[in-house]
Amino acid sequence: MKQLFYKELKLCLPVQVPLFFLFAAMLLIPAYPYLVACFFTCNSIFYLFNQSAGNNDLLFTALLPVSKAQVVKARVRFTVMIEMIMFLLLVPMIFVNHRLNPQGNPAGTDGSLTFLAAVLVLFTVFNAVFIPAFYRDETKSGKNFLISTIAVFVWIILWEGFMITAAAAKDALPFFSWAAENLDAFPATAQAWRTQLIALAVGALIYGLGTYLVSRKAVGIFERVDL
Amino acid sequence: MHLLEVRDLEKRYPTFTLDKVSFSLEPGYIMGFIGRNGAGKTTTMKAMLNLIHRDGGEVFVNGRSFFENERACKGEIGFVMGEFDCYKNATLKAITDVTRRFYPTWDQAAYEDYLRRFALVESKKVKELSAGMRVKYALALALSHDARLLILDEPTSGLDPVSRDDLLDVFRSVIEDGSRSILFSTHIISDLEKCADYITYIKGGRVLASTDVLTFRESYRLVSGDREHLEVRRPKLIGCKEHAFGFTGLIRAEDEAAFRSCKIAPADLESIMIYTEQEDSHETAVL
Repeated sequence: MKQLFYKELKLCLPVQVPLFFLFAAMLLIPAYPYLVACFFTCNSIFYLFNQSAGNNDLLFTALLPVSKAQVVKARVRFTVMIEMIMFLLLVPMIFVNHRLNPQGNPAGTDGSLTFLAAVLVLFTVFNAVFIPAFYRDETKSGKNFLISTIAVFVWIILWEGFMITAAAAKDALPFFSWAAENLDAFPATAQAWRTQLIALAVGALIYGLGTYLVSRKAVGIFERVDL
Repeated sequence: MHLLEVRDLEKRYPTFTLDKVSFSLEPGYIMGFIGRNGAGKTTTMKAMLNLIHRDGGEVFVNGRSFFENERACKGEIGFVMGEFDCYKNATLKAITDVTRRFYPTWDQAAYEDYLRRFALVESKKVKELSAGMRVKYALALALSHDARLLILDEPTSGLDPVSRDDLLDVFRSVIEDGSRSILFSTHIISDLEKCADYITYIKGGRVLASTDVLTFRESYRLVSGDREHLEVRRPKLIGCKEHAFGFTGLIRAEDEAAFRSCKIAPADLESIMIYTEQEDSHETAVL
């Protein structure tokens, strides 16, 4: 696995991957749907896979002394590493965002632990749609990226829409009031911290379990694929 | 013990079937894998290496099941699937730096020796190499990790005659210690005449013959005669070409007695392949 990671770094990593980490700084924008910043990480992962397809990476790797399952697992783990780097970059950003913009984000979700949970779900959605489809037919990575982009934006619209609605209608329904105060804001109370930590744990669980299932499914597909 | 044993390998496509392909190779020999385009050579090799999903059969490398010991078996095999066509913007140095880490037996001195022998420059990018140089680079990688078995798909295509001859010398030197073997497919039958010890001939997804070159050649005869000799003997001909003065054709050695009045000559590999491929078409080429 160590050798496969080295191969990913040395031969497969496109410049977009490190470059698009800079989009974490979008949390410094006062009014912006922050989940979109994470879509750019998905975009850079698409570049990784697409460039690999153009480079015949699957055939090269499958000829090395590794199993087909390891080929897939290494790439999934590399993808997870990219997503986790973006995730870790976002953690200090939510604190900076709160310091610069204490009144909150009028264009969507605020920087919070719940936002980080939504980021993990976003990555899970992308991985679940894009990665197995890539191993089914690597030549269709553009089409697969389009479909995964639609899925990701459905999640962004649902999440950001819910948070905007909660903020706008917090006086109309107690649930919206609770959501606006405990979920869609940098945690100000012990109650909000607890709620958001639970939300983050749920997000982490979805991401961990989802990525494990994605990896298993992609391995199963790739075992049957003819190179 | 066989270094390579392929047993009843099957792969079914809607329009093509690899039908229970079986052959074996002892250590210390070179086997040529021949057949027309689309006969199933590359499919066989890919199915052997688990690059395509097989529908049946087994492959044993040095007595171990390939599919149950994929990693270990791949470590003992050097592969060349045509010209090197990966990571076109990467330098050879970068690709080698990655590849060698997968092989504990990597021999850097041997690799550098092959670079010199093949006139390869490590600082060049793959896209800067000609087709022939890409084949040579693939061979340099395959030959540099002390593989016991080399599986080469069309390794000599795209090479000039001098490079091909040099490569065949490399093949002979690889197997000379008696512990290594080479299976290579090719359309260039003259290469096989120069270096192959065994032949496996595949046609339409089926192995027609898998034997040593001498036995294979001795199984056939080339005959030529007048047109008057042709008609009564046509059923015994595997394939034939008619011309203004008569015919030339291929027969099985056991049918030689029926062609005593004709000119009979030993068959070469290329003629055997050409005439055998006519067998199913029930056509005789008219020149």
